Amino acid sequence: MEIYHIQNVSFTFPMQEKKALEGINLTIQGGEFITIGGKSGSGKSTLLRQVKPILSPHGKREGTLTYRGRPIEDVDQRTQASDIGFVLQNPDNGIVTDKVWHELAFGLESLGLDQQTIRLRVAEMASFFGIQTWFHKSVTELSGGQKQLLNLASIMAMHPSVLLLDEPTSQLDPIAAADFIETLRKINQELGTTIILTEHRLEEVLPVSDRFIVMDEGRVIVDGTPREAGEALWCMGHPMFTAMPSSMQIYAGVTKDTPFPVTVKEGRQWLDRYLEDKSNVREEVTLNSQTLNNTNQLPALRFKDVWFKYEKNGVNIIKDLSFEVAEGQLYCLVGGNGTGKTTALSLAGGLYHPYRGKVLIGGKNILSMQAKELFTNNIAYLPQNPQHLFVKKTVEQDLYEILSRSSMSKEEKARKITAMAEFLELEPLFAMHPYDLSGGEQQRAALAKVLLLEPRILLLDEPTKGLDSFFKAKLASYLKQLNANGVTILMVSHDIEFCAKYGDVCALFFNGSITTSGAAKPFFAGNHFYTTAANRMVRHVWREGVTVEDVIALCKNTR
Amino acid sequence: MQEHQIDNRNGWRNKRTLISAILILLVIPATIMFGVFALDDRKYYFISLLIILYTMLPFTLVFERRKPQARELIVIAVLTAIAVAGRAAFFMIPQFKPVVAIVIIAGVSFGPEAGFLVGATTGFVSNFFFGQGPWTPWQMFCFGIIGFLAGILFRRGWLKTSKLALCTFGGLATFFIYGGIINIGSLLMFTPVLSRDALIATYASGFWFDMVHAIATVIFLYFLSRPMIEKLDRIKAKYGLIESK
Amino acid sequence: MNSGFATFHPFVNLVYFIAVLLFGMWFMHPDFQAIALVSAIVYAIVLRGRAAVKFQLIYMLPLLLVMALINPAFNHAGVTILFYLKNGNPITLESIQYGLASACMFVTVIIWFSCYNAVMTSDKFIYLFGKIIPALSLIFSMVLRFVPRYQNQLKRISFAQRSIGQDMSQGNLLYRAKNGLTILSIMTTWALENAIETADSMKSRGYGLPGRTSYSLYRFDNRDKGCLIIMFILVAVVLSGQVKGENTMRFFPSIKVAEVTPFSILVYIAYSGLCMLPVIHYILEGIKWRSITSRM
Repeated sequence: MEIYHIQNVSFTFPMQEKKALEGINLTIQGGEFITIGGKSGSGKSTLLRQVKPILSPHGKREGTLTYRGRPIEDVDQRTQASDIGFVLQNPDNGIVTDKVWHELAFGLESLGLDQQTIRLRVAEMASFFGIQTWFHKSVTELSGGQKQLLNLASIMAMHPSVLLLDEPTSQLDPIAAADFIETLRKINQELGTTIILTEHRLEEVLPVSDRFIVMDEGRVIVDGTPREAGEALWCMGHPMFTAMPSSMQIYAGVTKDTPFPVTVKEGRQWLDRYLEDKSNVREEVTLNSQTLNNTNQLPALRFKDVWFKYEKNGVNIIKDLSFEVAEGQLYCLVGGNGTGKTTALSLAGGLYHPYRGKVLIGGKNILSMQAKELFTNNIAYLPQNPQHLFVKKTVEQDLYEILSRSSMSKEEKARKITAMAEFLELEPLFAMHPYDLSGGEQQRAALAKVLLLEPRILLLDEPTKGLDSFFKAKLASYLKQLNANGVTILMVSHDIEFCAKYGDVCALFFNGSITTSGAAKPFFAGNHFYTTAANRMVRHVWREGVTVEDVIALCKNTR
Repeated sequence: MQEHQIDNRNGWRNKRTLISAILILLVIPATIMFGVFALDDRKYYFISLLIILYTMLPFTLVFERRKPQARELIVIAVLTAIAVAGRAAFFMIPQFKPVVAIVIIAGVSFGPEAGFLVGATTGFVSNFFFGQGPWTPWQMFCFGIIGFLAGILFRRGWLKTSKLALCTFGGLATFFIYGGIINIGSLLMFTPVLSRDALIATYASGFWFDMVHAIATVIFLYFLSRPMIEKLDRIKAKYGLIESK
Repeated sequence: MNSGFATFHPFVNLVYFIAVLLFGMWFMHPDFQAIALVSAIVYAIVLRGRAAVKFQLIYMLPLLLVMALINPAFNHAGVTILFYLKNGNPITLESIQYGLASACMFVTVIIWFSCYNAVMTSDKFIYLFGKIIPALSLIFSMVLRFVPRYQNQLKRISFAQRSIGQDMSQGNLLYRAKNGLTILSIMTTWALENAIETADSMKSRGYGLPGRTSYSLYRFDNRDKGCLIIMFILVAVVLSGQVKGENTMRFFPSIKVAEVTPFSILVYIAYSGLCMLPVIHYILEGIKWRSITSRM
């Protein structure tokens, strides 16, 4: 059954010349699992909001859009609310009430269902999603993953036939994200609900998708099965291809046959076939991996036997942590949630102090430093949510704000800000309100703000969260330039691919301390599960193949 | 747009006036009579409590009757939550609270009804965190009525959004309206007999508390009013909070 | 508190608290006051533990004394004059007793409220008023959701500000206050901008459609019915005592307490029963539980 028929649809925001959507033609069948990809600002979310008119932004729409054969304008609000579910990007913003049980019933109350029906549906949903154990809890007590699951459950309770999701996993850690995608697959398979979602992280979602649509500049450029879509992108030489699953990228980098593999498993099977007739496979290939330059110079940042807990009688969050970060390094702390890595970052920033052991910055104990000494030309911390730094009405004013306390002359301030804006490509955004920027742009503006303090050590908390692959590549290039200028960077991240590709040193954080550490590539080569998708695909042949580029090089080297 | 909005709201304002009139002309005198004759004229606290609840009734009824939209609920909830969180954030300094300042800003930005609701809801919900007690209705009423007045005065053009005007209004309202009424309330709470001397003594003993509270309101309005009103205006414009009813 | 009387239907809880609070504020008769005060304290101990109640009582003691003294200072009615103040006003025995009585009443009310706070959690209140004032009770629920979230945000924002050297915990008062206000300001922007998405989420799930219903976790079962009937009977007896003048007490001009009659004893018992209802329920449950476990 045809759910949506979108014919030549265009959309223009008020007071803008450029069309946000242009000539979209799509037909969506019942029960399909569709993923929409594309850069930030390519029109994915705008398209998603067009098919649920109650959430459509102001603006002008042209073309015809039908839902189950009826023009979408004629679909009444009640049908829209119950039939078309919508999950927002930020799990916290989606939740309205203070209790889990109340949230589950919220939509059903709106529909005016009677007590008995609501009881039944709430009970069903709680069971389907495994919510029973936290059914009575306050929303505040839930983890991010649980919150997003609650959002989903409270919509599924209304029995929608279409589920729309706007980057639902971008704020979740990888494990919660994988769980969420798995739940979506279950909904799609077991209930037959049509699913349309936008996503940046394609590794997990493409294998369960029936169809992958790629958007660019408001147009649909590719539409097909994930395999076909990947192939099409590759043929077009489109930059979006770098966001595709690693196995697909490796495959395309090596041969040009079809079909493209989508999962790690398929990639592995292909690799085995590919290597069958090659003779020199096991030969070690020297990769151009950087060796740690072991100079005798003082480390920029050093933890020495650090212990930390939040309360006197609390549990130890950091246990006997010791490590060093050399000057100009990009040091990545990876590991699961709640292992204490963000706390370690806060300790490095002098925001907390250890009760035993020392944190040394350039050889000096952080405890003996005044805030002024610590935060001027020394340490800067970029919080996970860049919004926490914005104070003013425009980006430009905000950048000036951070210099407001320094004794610099006006010209000097202007010069510094111009230089910074040039470095981070911020000038076009100067007049905008910080909250009107996209996630990646906000990240850049916040980075500019902390960099204006000219730190020698930069601390980053999950800097790639919610960013698309282009912004990530850009961020990496900025960080590398900073490194080259002698800035030391310590970052905490869940983004294994990013750390493997750009980090100098990586350390696995577990149970309040570092379990293993090493130069990025050998580090991941030494892990079995906690490693990149590319490495998981090829590690039975080449343990040292960590990034997509490495593996392609390794494959090409075989004869 | 402002004009249009006022026209739109005349309907419910009339309804509220009607309910208020019934309450003031019939129910309140009846309650007082009941107090004088049936309760032997000794239950001031009880009677005053009833009257306070009556005054809040028209706002409640009108608000519920017109089936407010999601956005209106959100705005009131957000402002209330900010006020409650602000009250909690300054827990270490007694009486130094941003609540009145935020309520006044709400009244000025979103009108008398929103001002009243933000104020009364703040008084009520914050006591889920600090403990409900016989003081709850009094706080609700005082915060609410200040927000309402701020809204009315602004609509009439008697209150401007300049720092001076807002700070003056805030300081006076906190000291005289909030302090004035709350002190009567606390006096009635423990001495069921109202006498002039006792009232004066209560005001005298509460003087510094009310003063600190008023100064806090002035300080908060001085620093917060401009950025807050700007932010609220931006939200109104960005998401079309005004245009649709 | 997820046990005992609190597990009854919220309506039963609410009726109970309205009854004891109103009666507590109403009856000035010393026996009634004593019943109410003792019951309130016992119930508070059951709910919150001995230490908490002791702390509260000690904390209230000075207040109590002041209140007992304020009344005679301003109220000069009564016939038994003890002595004269410097300004010539008399201090009377009646007004001192009246002051003590009203102070005692105040303490009782405060303790009843501390029990109320432990039993009538916000979700019960929201449920009870969800049908009568749906929009406002939804606002309450939203505020209760936002407040902890905002408190958390305030913490994070002040953390973020500190990490760029703008610290609220250091520097002089003005500097700190300014940073504090910056944090509040950032939080406001953040809250408003994010709330728009929450409004979307509400609209997306059909908020605003006519005929909204209200879901409740609570069921009104036979146990609740029984409890409510008992409460109504007790209230009726107490009220009839009031009508007959058994519960009143006259302070001025001279003290006159209603005499003890067989009927007044019945009223006392009914009032004690009402005030002690949760405690009696607690004890009975305890006995029952012990007898069940001993048989297992």
